[in-house]
Amino acid sequence: MKDLYKNNLRGIIYKFLPISLLFFSVLNEFDFNNLGFKYFSFNFSYILIFYYNLKSKERLGHVSIFIAGLFNDTINGLPIGTSSLIYLLLCGAAAYLRNITLTPNLIKDWLFFFGTILVLNSLSYMILNFFFNFKISYSHEFANVMFTFLFYLFFSYFFNFFEKVFFGSNYAE
Amino acid sequence: METSRDDFVIAIRSAFLKKGTQQRFSLLGLIFFSTILLILGNLNFKAVDYVKTAIEETVYRSSFIVSGPENLIKKNYLSIKSHFKLYDENLENKNKLENFKSKDLTKQILILENKRYKKLIDDYFIKDNEMYAKVLIDKQSPYLRSIVLNKGSKNNIKIGMAVLDNIYLVGKVVELNYLTSRVLLLPDINSKIPVSLQPGDIQAIMSGDGDKNGVLQYIKDRELKKHNTDILVLTSGTGGIFKSGIPIGKIKKRSSINNEAIIDFDIDFSQLKYVKVVSFMKEKKILDQSSKKATQEVNNQIEQVTKQKETLRILLEQKKISDEVRVKIEEDNNFLKNKTIKLENEKSKLKEELKEIKFETEQNKFLDLNLIYWKKCKKTFYNKLYIVGTAEYRDCIFKKGNKKTR
Repeated sequence: MKDLYKNNLRGIIYKFLPISLLFFSVLNEFDFNNLGFKYFSFNFSYILIFYYNLKSKERLGHVSIFIAGLFNDTINGLPIGTSSLIYLLLCGAAAYLRNITLTPNLIKDWLFFFGTILVLNSLSYMILNFFFNFKISYSHEFANVMFTFLFYLFFSYFFNFFEKVFFGSNYAE
Repeated sequence: METSRDDFVIAIRSAFLKKGTQQRFSLLGLIFFSTILLILGNLNFKAVDYVKTAIEETVYRSSFIVSGPENLIKKNYLSIKSHFKLYDENLENKNKLENFKSKDLTKQILILENKRYKKLIDDYFIKDNEMYAKVLIDKQSPYLRSIVLNKGSKNNIKIGMAVLDNIYLVGKVVELNYLTSRVLLLPDINSKIPVSLQPGDIQAIMSGDGDKNGVLQYIKDRELKKHNTDILVLTSGTGGIFKSGIPIGKIKKRSSINNEAIIDFDIDFSQLKYVKVVSFMKEKKILDQSSKKATQEVNNQIEQVTKQKETLRILLEQKKISDEVRVKIEEDNNFLKNKTIKLENEKSKLKEELKEIKFETEQNKFLDLNLIYWKKCKKTFYNKLYIVGTAEYRDCIFKKGNKKTR
């Protein structure tokens, strides 16, 4: 594992890929979470944060996630601190799952992820609606949770495959 | 049971309190910090506002740069799409142009009259401050429909200013920074605009549906059912934020689910690139000499445009009459041409006949004279006259054998 953090290009890409992806998805004007179909949207940041906190927690620093949350709030015009709080709680949930898991199982991770995002989206809805008087479409919010849940499986396989191909099988798990 | 609870506590403590090898802050510390930020933000704490403004100034520019390549791809895609549609659009535009040309003068009169009446009831707003701004970020999220502009308080932009695309309303400024500002778009669920529906002058509040359309709120349903045609949606000017009469869209159809009137906006909110930020102020009431002059000017303008319209109408009538006369003359001309050709044919036929008759008469005369004078002209072995059938013989017969022509 130590070899990974050598200052070669592969090591740098390995180390900074998740965080770059997170910042790219947050800063990007074209929201690839939302492809313009009615009710279709998913939260790529949730998937990324949960997956990498579960599999390789060293590569997504908590401070970076906090800053990414602030950026996301700014871009989306949300009260500052909302996304940071949700992202960090998601990190906490992933860390808890990692601590209690002896033998990793994708389906269990998946279901745990579903429960977590349901709770976190409810929390986000409550903060925005009750404290800041933001109106949020309940149906959009629910559709977002469902699609994020469904896409987790796909992205999980994709990240596994990608890491195996580019960094070798030792780094994927 | 005791062990299970211990495990849970240990796992939670480890997850939230334990710092990893690469982590500088514990998760709980950062969660606590985020919560503090949220609470202070809710209490409108000044320091949080400054932090927010600083982040916004940085992030908006960074986002603009990060989105560069994708925007380029999007622009090229739209450009190609537009090239494919060019021919059809051209035809459609030509038709529209014809229609608009005819409606233009009537519209000018109505505008001027409207202006005069509004001045009379002291409801005439003039543009106080107007500037163009570039759209830095157009985040098409289903939760918040907003755009970020590259103009802020430095450029005299204020919260609540109207944002227009051409003449159509886009939204209003809701957040202001030194160099940037955020505009809440009409389709956003949080946007509430007082509108007027024409025809019928029905007042309502319009909100966004969070997607692409608007919905009407606080309206009596039976009032809309009276109209079968398209209903125009304009700002009503109630509340004094916007001036009245800024076009917004049309009512497209009745939603069958919750019976709300769906508004189809006049502009495509995903294609905004440059917008106009304006504020309006009431024009001072007509009391002084200059105002009277202005009113006089408007009246003169109305008169002039009416005259122009009348002249145009007369010219159009004249053109119509000239066209009719031209067609009639053309028809007559064609008829006469045909007649002339016919007469020419008849004339040539008669000429032929006349020639024939003349020839026959001459022949008959020759034959008659020949019977009498053939002896005086015919060549025999004892005289030196003419052989029968030659021109000289014929000449001799016509001269009754008197003279020798050679």
